Amino acid sequence: MSMIVLENVEKDYLHHGKKIPALRGVSLIIQSGEFSALAGPSGSGKTTLLNIIGGLDAPTAGSVTVDGTALTALSPRELADMRLRKIGFVFQAYNLIPVLSALENVEYVLLLQGLEKKERRERAEAVLTEVGLQDLMRRLPHELSGGQQQRVAVARAIVSAPAIVLADEPTANLDQKTGAMLMDIMHEMNLKKGITFLFSTHDPMVMERSERLIRLSDGNIVSDESKR
Amino acid sequence: MKIFFLIGWRNLWRNKRRSLVVISSIALGIFAMMFSMALMNGLNNQMVENTISTSLGHIAVQRAGFQDDMKLQNSFSPSETALQSLEQTPGILAYAPRIQLEGMIRSSEASRGVLIIGIDPEKEKSVSGIAEYLLPDQGGTFLLNRGDRELLISKTLAEKLDLMVGDKAVILFQDVDREISGAALNVRGLYQSPIDSFDKYVIYTGLDTLAKMAGIGNRISRIVVRTENRDAVDPVAAHLRAAVPDPGIEILTWKDMAPNLLSAVALFDAMMYIFFAIIFTTVVFSIANVLIMAVMERFHEIGVMKSIGTRPVWIGAMVVFEAVNLALAGLIAGVVPGLLLVGALSVTGIDFSFYMESVRVWGTGAVVYPSIKPMDVWVSALIVMGTTLTAAVYPAVKAARIKPLEALHFI
Repeated sequence: MSMIVLENVEKDYLHHGKKIPALRGVSLIIQSGEFSALAGPSGSGKTTLLNIIGGLDAPTAGSVTVDGTALTALSPRELADMRLRKIGFVFQAYNLIPVLSALENVEYVLLLQGLEKKERRERAEAVLTEVGLQDLMRRLPHELSGGQQQRVAVARAIVSAPAIVLADEPTANLDQKTGAMLMDIMHEMNLKKGITFLFSTHDPMVMERSERLIRLSDGNIVSDESKR
Repeated sequence: MKIFFLIGWRNLWRNKRRSLVVISSIALGIFAMMFSMALMNGLNNQMVENTISTSLGHIAVQRAGFQDDMKLQNSFSPSETALQSLEQTPGILAYAPRIQLEGMIRSSEASRGVLIIGIDPEKEKSVSGIAEYLLPDQGGTFLLNRGDRELLISKTLAEKLDLMVGDKAVILFQDVDREISGAALNVRGLYQSPIDSFDKYVIYTGLDTLAKMAGIGNRISRIVVRTENRDAVDPVAAHLRAAVPDPGIEILTWKDMAPNLLSAVALFDAMMYIFFAIIFTTVVFSIANVLIMAVMERFHEIGVMKSIGTRPVWIGAMVVFEAVNLALAGLIAGVVPGLLLVGALSVTGIDFSFYMESVRVWGTGAVVYPSIKPMDVWVSALIVMGTTLTAAVYPAVKAARIKPLEALHFI
């Protein structure tokens, strides 16, 4: 089943009145349950592509469908609901809510979804235990290391069992060992829960561990290599 | 929504100093507002009470038309029905007859236009405070009976006329037949009321003495009624009007007799609210400024929250809750000391004797006892909450409209 379908997606930015193309007619299909990575040099368009798939940015032309829903037809509120229920995000800089504990950060998404307190608490505790943070749940983000914060971010992204997790340079701020551990956790979630993962990365380790590697250059897909 | 209240509360303490400055300004604002309200209540209350206590009483029973034209021809003899009603109406503490007419008092040194009031001294003690205003250190005493041929005048008037207790003064006025009538009477005592204008204008003598000099027989100008309290005035007046259905008799409350006093109180209240509006307009801008700063500081963070599915309205609510938390903290910090201070001052009073001339002009008395009503506290709280919510609107809308992608790129 196709989880993400991009057809001739173009994205132009205006800079001082001049049109700068970031994506030049990208077409791509990501199947459900894939563990894929977008790679390429800076400015190749991988983050732009990830933002468009996540509904954070709109394409200049082309169509984007995520889990059967055409994103270009959605209002800002519908896009917010789409991100809440179907998409998990992991950012390079962790981006946890600083005034909430690890547990509250993870629960936050479930709370927005309207789950009851008991269920929220159980699910958040379970997923934090899965990422190895069972003893640090009550800590605030600034009381955690970078790796621990990124594990909380992964837990937050997967706790609501989204259809897809989009991770923008998830290991960029982590050391090699911690990055590898994080990739193990995400791969385990991919295998156990069937969540589709799509990374944008510079990190060779992430490319190595991804099952499909899509290389971008200058706004175009230049290679698409499956390792399965 | 609870989570956004929690986030709002915790966000408040991320920049403790800034939040404390805003909380302090809210607390100071509400403290000043409550204190001003309490002081104004005390001033208004005492001004009204003193006017009732010196001249008006709570209710007056008099001949129709007397209020507009206080001449002797408008005197009357109370009917049995009226007197019985005064005895039997619940809520009446006491009543006393008065004759009052305009005339002149003359000493060997000077003369003044005055209002001469004839009183039954024993009954008058129950309806007015004139006996309490007597100055025993001046050597005088209160009038003894309604047939007394002596005068009670104010210390102010005595000084102007160069009179002392025991001196003789002449009173002159037109009697009921429009003939000049007068008598030389001894000054029996001096008084000082809290109202300067009253002191300059009012003198007392015995009721029967004045009736005889005026030629009105057993008629009087009015019956002054004292009720249990001011709240009882309207029901008692209504009861009396029903019990004495004589169109020739009018039963007026102090509010009917002194509409200018009510207007003054309303004017003071309006001025106070204008004063509050100025104070809280500045508070609105300081709160809005702080909230805008907080939103801008958390621009990236708000972008993340929106990225993971937080709706714009929830982001707005978070900012509003932050403002509500500021207001609640400010309210507690302002209301508690405000109530304690007003509570203490309502017992001890504030001595304005250093400002004696002004307080006597306004008739408030030298010591003012601030008083606060529960409604005042609620109004203050509502004003603060309304102010804060108004201040939160722009920052909340601004936060709600943050574009997640733009915010994610903002460091």
